[in-house]
Amino acid sequence: MKKTAFDNFINDRFVLLDGATGTELQKRGMPKGVCPEQWVAEHPDIILEVQNQYVEAGSNIIYTCTFGGNRIKLEEFSLGESVFGLNQKLAALSKKAVGEKALVAGDLAPTGRMVEPLGDLPFEKCIAVYKEQIQGLLAGGVDLFVIETMMDIQEARAALIAVKENCVLPALVSMTFDQNQRSLTGTDPVTALITLQSLGADVVGCNCSTGPAEMAALIALMKPYARVPLLAKPNAGLPRLINGVTVFDMDAPEFAGYAQVLINAGASFLGGCCGTSPEYIRELKNKTLGQSRPVSLTPAFSGVTSARKTVFFGSDHPVKVVGERINPTGKKKLQEELKNGLTQEVRRLAMEQTQNGAEILDVNVGMPGIDEKQTMAEITTLLSNFTDAPLCLDSSSPVVLESALRLYPGRALINSISLEKAKIEKLLPLAAKYGSMFILLPVSDEEVPERNEKRREIVWEVFRKAQQYGFHKEDMVVDGLVMTVSSNQQAALETLDQIEWCAREFGSPSIIGLSNISFGLPERSWVNAAFLAMAIGRGLTLTIANPSSDLLMGIKMASDVLTTRDRDSLRYIARFSQGEKQHYGNVPGPEVMSIRERIYRAVLRGEKEDIHLLIEQALQESVLPGEIVDDCMIPAINEVGQLFDAKKYYLPQLIRSAETMKLGFDKIEPLLGADQKSNTSGLAKVVLATVKGDVHDIGKNIVGLMLKNYGFLVHDLGKDVSKERIVAEAKTIGAEIIGMSALMTTTMTEMKEVIQLARQVGLQCKIMIGGAVVNADYAREIGADGYAKDAYEAVKLAQKLIMNDAHLDKSILP
Amino acid sequence: MTHTLIQCFYNIPLDPEIESVLIRLGSRKNAPIDADFFRMLEEGMKQAKILSHPTGLYLPLKIFQRTADTVVLENETYFQSTSLSRLLQNSEETVLMAATIGPEIVDAIMNEVTQKDAALGVILDAVASQTTDAVLDWMMDYLNILLAKKGRKLTRHRYSPGYGDLSLVYQKSIFETLKLNKLGLKLTDKYMLVPEKSVIAIAGIEPKEY
Repeated sequence: MKKTAFDNFINDRFVLLDGATGTELQKRGMPKGVCPEQWVAEHPDIILEVQNQYVEAGSNIIYTCTFGGNRIKLEEFSLGESVFGLNQKLAALSKKAVGEKALVAGDLAPTGRMVEPLGDLPFEKCIAVYKEQIQGLLAGGVDLFVIETMMDIQEARAALIAVKENCVLPALVSMTFDQNQRSLTGTDPVTALITLQSLGADVVGCNCSTGPAEMAALIALMKPYARVPLLAKPNAGLPRLINGVTVFDMDAPEFAGYAQVLINAGASFLGGCCGTSPEYIRELKNKTLGQSRPVSLTPAFSGVTSARKTVFFGSDHPVKVVGERINPTGKKKLQEELKNGLTQEVRRLAMEQTQNGAEILDVNVGMPGIDEKQTMAEITTLLSNFTDAPLCLDSSSPVVLESALRLYPGRALINSISLEKAKIEKLLPLAAKYGSMFILLPVSDEEVPERNEKRREIVWEVFRKAQQYGFHKEDMVVDGLVMTVSSNQQAALETLDQIEWCAREFGSPSIIGLSNISFGLPERSWVNAAFLAMAIGRGLTLTIANPSSDLLMGIKMASDVLTTRDRDSLRYIARFSQGEKQHYGNVPGPEVMSIRERIYRAVLRGEKEDIHLLIEQALQESVLPGEIVDDCMIPAINEVGQLFDAKKYYLPQLIRSAETMKLGFDKIEPLLGADQKSNTSGLAKVVLATVKGDVHDIGKNIVGLMLKNYGFLVHDLGKDVSKERIVAEAKTIGAEIIGMSALMTTTMTEMKEVIQLARQVGLQCKIMIGGAVVNADYAREIGADGYAKDAYEAVKLAQKLIMNDAHLDKSILP
Repeated sequence: MTHTLIQCFYNIPLDPEIESVLIRLGSRKNAPIDADFFRMLEEGMKQAKILSHPTGLYLPLKIFQRTADTVVLENETYFQSTSLSRLLQNSEETVLMAATIGPEIVDAIMNEVTQKDAALGVILDAVASQTTDAVLDWMMDYLNILLAKKGRKLTRHRYSPGYGDLSLVYQKSIFETLKLNKLGLKLTDKYMLVPEKSVIAIAGIEPKEY
C-alpha cells in the first residue's frame, strides 16, 4: 500500500486498531513461557479466530502476531533461524483472517536489547535485525508496518529506518511513556513526535503503559506539533498482579468512555493494548460511530531535537545560541585529544557552552590526521547522552554527515547545504532521509555573493530543490553569510537586509556566524555585540557564537526582551536577578574592616590566596606577630571548627580554612618568640597508611592533609601497606601516632595485625583508625587508642592522644 | 523478565542532585550554604560530570533456592546471608547490578587532594560517589518501569557485598557472572573493585503488592 492509498484509506475517519493479542491467545490455551510466534504458527486457527473477532468488532487495522518476531527475541527460544519463515507465515495468517475487511500491519516491537548510544547493541545491527523481520512480513503480504511499544527513541528510529530502507509501505510508530510522561530512556512525547515524524513516520502515537486518561494527556501534548495523525492504544487501566496473574482494572464500557477524551486530545487512530479484548474495540466503535475526523494540518514549524529535548526557534521565540566551540580549529588541546581518541575537552566544551546559555551545539571535528567520519560518529554518540542540547552537525563531507545523522537519536541541524552541486545533490537527499533541518548557505559553484539580491536567488533555488524532497521553508535556516566589515563596510548592511527579508518576506529562520563581522578590527567584542543587537532587531533567529561572552549573552537576552521575544522578560529576569546567598563572616565589606578583622575573615572563609598579603600589611601596621596568631588566626580557626561541628560548614570549607591557617602560620612563624614557635623537630609525628589489601586512600589522604594543616608531621605511606612496613616506619621516625584506614570488611582485620605487631616490637605510640566499615567499638576491640569518623575528628583525636600522652601540645591549635 | 543477557548502558545521562552531594559532605537538612562554597560545589559538580563515564549493567537471575540464611541463584551463584535472604523474601527473581564511572575521575580526585586543591578534591569525591550510586538508581528506575507493565517491581532497597552479613567475598562470583572485566573493572585479592568509584548490588523482583 502506497502512502496515497493509505491517505485515501484513512480519509476523514477515525481508524480503529485492534486490542491485546497475548491475553486472547492465553484464553484459548497458549501456555505460559512458550514462544507466542511459534505457538500461533502451530495453532493457526486460533489467531484466525482472534483477529477475525477484532475485525468483526470494528478494527480497521490488525497487527500481525509478531511482537517478539525479531531475531534477538526468537533466539531466546532458539528460533533465531526461523525469523523469515515465522514472520511470513504469521503475516499470511493475518491477511487470511481479515480478508478485504481490514488492513494488516506488520508488527515490529522492541528487541529487548538497549541500542547504542545508551546500550551495547550496535545501531546498524539493530537495523539489520528489523530488516530481517520486515522481509518476512513483506513476503507474507502486510499492507503497512507498525512499530509499537517502543521505550527508546533510538530503537524506534532503527526500526523506522529499516522499514524505509526496505519498502515504501506506510509506517505507524507508537512509543510507550510512563507516568512522568517520559519514555524509558527519557524522551518526552513532543520530542518523540518531532523526531519520528521528521524521520518519515506516517502516524505517531502512544501505546501501553498507561490507561486512557493518562494517554489522552500525552496525546494532547503532541497535538500542537503533529503534522501526522496521532495514535492512542492505551491499556485497560492499571495492571495488578493477583495470584500470579496480571489483571487490569477497567472494563470495556469504562475504557470506551474515554474515546471522546482521546479524540478531543487529538487522537484519530484508536485501539487497545494490555487488558483489552474485541469487546473493548466494539465499545470504541460504538463511541466513534458516525464521527468524522477533523483533518486539520498543523502548520510547519522550526525545531530540532536531541533524545530528550526539543529546541524550537522562530520569530516568536528568543534567539537561540548555537555554541561554536566544539571545533578543533585553533584549539590545540582539542586537536590533541581528538587525535588520541580522547573526549574530555569535548565534554568540557559542551558543558561550558550549555551552562552559559547555548541551546544547540555545533559539532565540527574536521582536522588533518584523524578519520573525520569515525570521529564525528563517536563524538555524536558521546554528546547524544552527555548533553540534552540538540546538535548542529557541521562538516563539508556528505559521508561524514551521514555517519552522524544516521546515529543521532534526534532531529539534527545540518551545517550546511549550499547550491554547490557536489553538496546539494548529496546532502538534500540525506537531510530528507534523516528528517534533519539544514542551514542554507547562499553560495553557488560560481560565487560567494556579496549582494543580497543574488543571495536571495540562491535561497529560492535551493528551496525549490528542497521542496521536491518535502521540505518547507521552516525546515531551513538561511545563513546570513557574514563578511568582515573591515574589508567591506557594506557587508553588515547586506546581511541585516537579508535577515529582515528572511523574517518578513521569505519566511525562513536565519542564522549568522557572528564573529566574522569584526575580523581585523580592534576590540572585536563591541562590534560583535552591536551587530548581534541589530540583527535581532531585524528578525534574526539563531546565532553561532561563543556563549562564554557575558557581553554577547547579555545583549542577546536584552534584545530578546526589547523585541518581545522573551515574554514578560522571564528569561532575562531568571538569568540576571539571582539572589545572593549568605556569607559567614561577611557582615561589613572588607574595605571597612580593620586588618585584624580581615585576617580573621580570611581564615574563616579559607581565602588562602590573600593571607600572606594580609599578614604583611598587619606587620606594616605594627600588629605584633603573636597577636596575629592569638587574636586573629586561632579564634578564626576555632570558629571554623565550631561551624563544622554545628554542620554549618562542610569539609571542603574546613580544609580551605585549615590550609589558609597553615599558610599564614608558616609565614609568621619565623617572627614569633621562642615560646610561641613550634620547630620542626618538635612536631608530633604521625605515620599514616591504608592497610594491606586495601586500595582506597582518598579519605586517608584528606586526613593526612588536615593533620599537616594542624601542625602534625605526617609520614604518609600510601595504600596497601604491610604491617611490617607501618611498624618499621613508626619505629624509625619515632612516631607518636600511627593512623590507619580501611574501607572494607575484608581489610579491616589487618588493623588488628598492625597493632599486635607494634606492641610485640615494643612500640608505645598511640594508634588511631578510621574508614567506612570501622567504628569506636571496633577500635576498642582491636586495642586501638581511638577512632575518628572524619578528617576533623581525626585532627581532634590526634591532638587529644598526644595531650593524653603527656606530650606538650605540638599542634598549632589548643 | 525474559532477559537472559546482560544489559549494558554507557554514558548514562545523569545529573546528581546537589542536595544529595551535600548530604555526602555532611549536610544538615535546610542548613544555610555559604555563597562561595556553593560556587565551589557547582564547579566541582561540573568538573565531575566532565570526568565521569557513568556505565552500568544488570542481569536478572531466578532464585533457585532460598532459606533463612542462604540464597542460590539459577546460575548456582550462592550467598550466605540472613539479611539478603530477608530482602528477597517476596522475590522469585533477583537482579545483579554493577555501576562504575571510570578511572578518570578517581585519578583527578587523587591529584586534587594530594597536589592541587584538596577542597575541590573532596567535592569531586562526594559527587563521584553520588554519581556511582545514581547509576544504580537509574537502572533500578529503568527496571521498575519495565516491571510495572507486569505488575511487578524491584525491592525498595538493594544490597551490596560488604554490608550487613553479606560478605565482600561475594563480589567475586558477581564480578564473574556479570563479566565486569569487559567494562575494564578489576577485582583485587581482597575483593575490592578497581577503579574505586565502582559498585556491585543485588535487588529482588517482587509482585507490586509488596
